[in-house]
Amino acid sequence: MAETHTVQPGDRAIAYLTLTPSAAVLLLLVAVPTITVIGISLQDVGFGEMSGPWIGLENFAWALTSRTFWTALKNTFVWVFGSVSLEMMLGLGLALLLNRTFALRGVARAIILAPYLIPTVVAVLVWRYMFHDIVGILNYMLMSVGLISKPMVWLASTSTAMLSVIIVGVWKFFPFVVIALLGILQSIPQEQYEAAEIDGASAFQQFWRITLPHILPVFLLTALLRTIWTFHKFEIIYLLTGGGPLDSTTTLPILVYIKGFADFELGRAAAIALITFFILVVLLAVYFGFMKRAEARQ
Amino acid sequence: MARVEIRNVGKIFGNYKAVDDVSLTIEDGEFVVLLGPSGCGKSTLLRMVAGLELPTFGDIVIGETVATRLRPKDRNIAMVFQNYALYPHLTLYENIAFPLRVAGRRGDEVDKKVRWAAGLVGIEHLLARKPRQTSGGERQRTALARSLVRDPALFLLDEPLSNLDAKLRHSARDELRTFQERVGMTALYVTHDQVEAMGLGDRVVVMQGGRVRQVGTPEEIYLYPADTFVATFIGTPPMNLIDMPGEVLGVRPENLMPVSFFGQESGLRRMTMLVSRIEFLGSDKLIYGALDDPFGQAKVIARLPSSVPADIREGERAHFAVREHELRSFDPQTGLARPAPIPQRASVASHG
Ligand SMILES: Nc1ncnc2c1ncn2[C@@H]1O[C@H](COP(=O)(O)OP(=O)(O)OP(=O)(O)O)[C@@H](O)[C@H]1O
Ligand SMILES: [Mg+2]
Repeated sequence: MAETHTVQPGDRAIAYLTLTPSAAVLLLLVAVPTITVIGISLQDVGFGEMSGPWIGLENFAWALTSRTFWTALKNTFVWVFGSVSLEMMLGLGLALLLNRTFALRGVARAIILAPYLIPTVVAVLVWRYMFHDIVGILNYMLMSVGLISKPMVWLASTSTAMLSVIIVGVWKFFPFVVIALLGILQSIPQEQYEAAEIDGASAFQQFWRITLPHILPVFLLTALLRTIWTFHKFEIIYLLTGGGPLDSTTTLPILVYIKGFADFELGRAAAIALITFFILVVLLAVYFGFMKRAEARQ
Repeated sequence: MARVEIRNVGKIFGNYKAVDDVSLTIEDGEFVVLLGPSGCGKSTLLRMVAGLELPTFGDIVIGETVATRLRPKDRNIAMVFQNYALYPHLTLYENIAFPLRVAGRRGDEVDKKVRWAAGLVGIEHLLARKPRQTSGGERQRTALARSLVRDPALFLLDEPLSNLDAKLRHSARDELRTFQERVGMTALYVTHDQVEAMGLGDRVVVMQGGRVRQVGTPEEIYLYPADTFVATFIGTPPMNLIDMPGEVLGVRPENLMPVSFFGQESGLRRMTMLVSRIEFLGSDKLIYGALDDPFGQAKVIARLPSSVPADIREGERAHFAVREHELRSFDPQTGLARPAPIPQRASVASHG
């Protein structure tokens, strides 16, 4: 019989010992910035400083009572909800389309990926050009089909800036949804549809009773990831509008940036960042509870 | 239930002929088995009858209707798939109810039908479970129950037992047969397992390379194979084929017996075998060897009941014989059976 090794008390110590360096690095990477932010949020940090007098929760109190914060919060929800719901709908529609067999399907799939691969800066430049009120192709096309009668100022008007930003965000990130959903769609056994076909299910019934239940977990997970990422998204908005005009596209991450690096109120910026973090955690908790129930029903 | 006619049906994929000019009639209430090696076109033929595949040529008639171009749901058929194709997120109850629900039936009617079908296949106690919480045999029965609730005119089954282990397959086959007799279903059943085919089929259709090689009762197919393919495809071990000048002789291993076994009988063809190997299988012994002239060193296998006393040793010669009327003869060019005496039903029955 081969010699078997039983776990000795000393083994555990060795295990911990060997894990310590990487655990320490991880802790430093996560903990140091987090603690620093928490620390800063409790101080009145002014121009050109990294610390200041301790003022307790004053920064938080300021945030929760300022109109700027609440506007940014509302903007964030409009931005997240608008972008994610449009991305998910567009992504699902295109994934269903691309899941069918047709000539040039491979080419179509490659083309759809393009927006996701183009660097944000490049994409933003192109879109700013397309949104331009005089030379932009968007106004040109809308006017030539008669949908609008005079050029619209897409990015510089408080009523259309958020819509414009959402359009670019959706355009940039819907391919992610397509790819995720296409993967799960292709894992549905063809036999399920054939059985349903024989059982007399219509195309809609097949979608509702086979496709949807099958892709639901991945659909929800994708929506979750997109929600987190969109919540954090900074550069698309900042590069397109800088949060303006006025504060019509100022989301929480933009506000953090403006407070910290334009107004040089680092303490207030840190407080807003922490509140943002907290909101996200609550959202995720709700979401995971929801997912768990959906999974249990599966 | 209905009669089904397959008229000169063929299917070409690209430039590959998967099914080549098949004609076949399934009588009302008949259980017909499609048997053949992998890739011979059984599933393709079945799928054309189901409407999942459009024939390249030919017609399919179900009942009084030319169904060739009808959608599957308009053919009044049911199909049991190899992997059962149950809906994983629905309970067994909802799986069985599915055809009724999509047809817009509601309430009591659905419930009665589902419980009736589940009762027929004995899964009433499992209805609240999801497919992944059940065994392969239970899934197979669920698929069967689902196919029953619509009172289909025709059942199509594509290797429904192939995912079960040997023991379960045996009992499932038994159940299926009992069930078929009770319901009187018209069925087209695909398998590549000859034991399943012989045990289940009223008639067996042997296919190869997209073509039908023979149609007949299990007895007819076993005793009077239409060609050398059928002769060697059916039976384990298969029929011995012995090349002779101008003909190919066919001998079933169990018909090749020691001369002593026949006593004073006449009408025997004697054969001397140089025995190379003896395999003991329990109830039978397999004797491998080569025949002396005039049988040209042909390699053969004889199958002897262990209860038959025989003084046979490896490496020695032994004297065997076959009854003349149990010999089969095939054309060496075409492989087709030489017009053997047309089997009388009575004599067939006495063999079976
Ligand atoms: N959609 C298709 N496109 C191209 N060739 C196909 C297609 N479906 C089947 N074939 C080919 O047609 C032939 C017959 O296939 P079929 O599935 O009918 O075989 P089968 O007799 O059911 O085999 P098995 O016992 O392995 O299931 C095979 O050679 C297969 O590769
Ligand atoms: Mg097959």
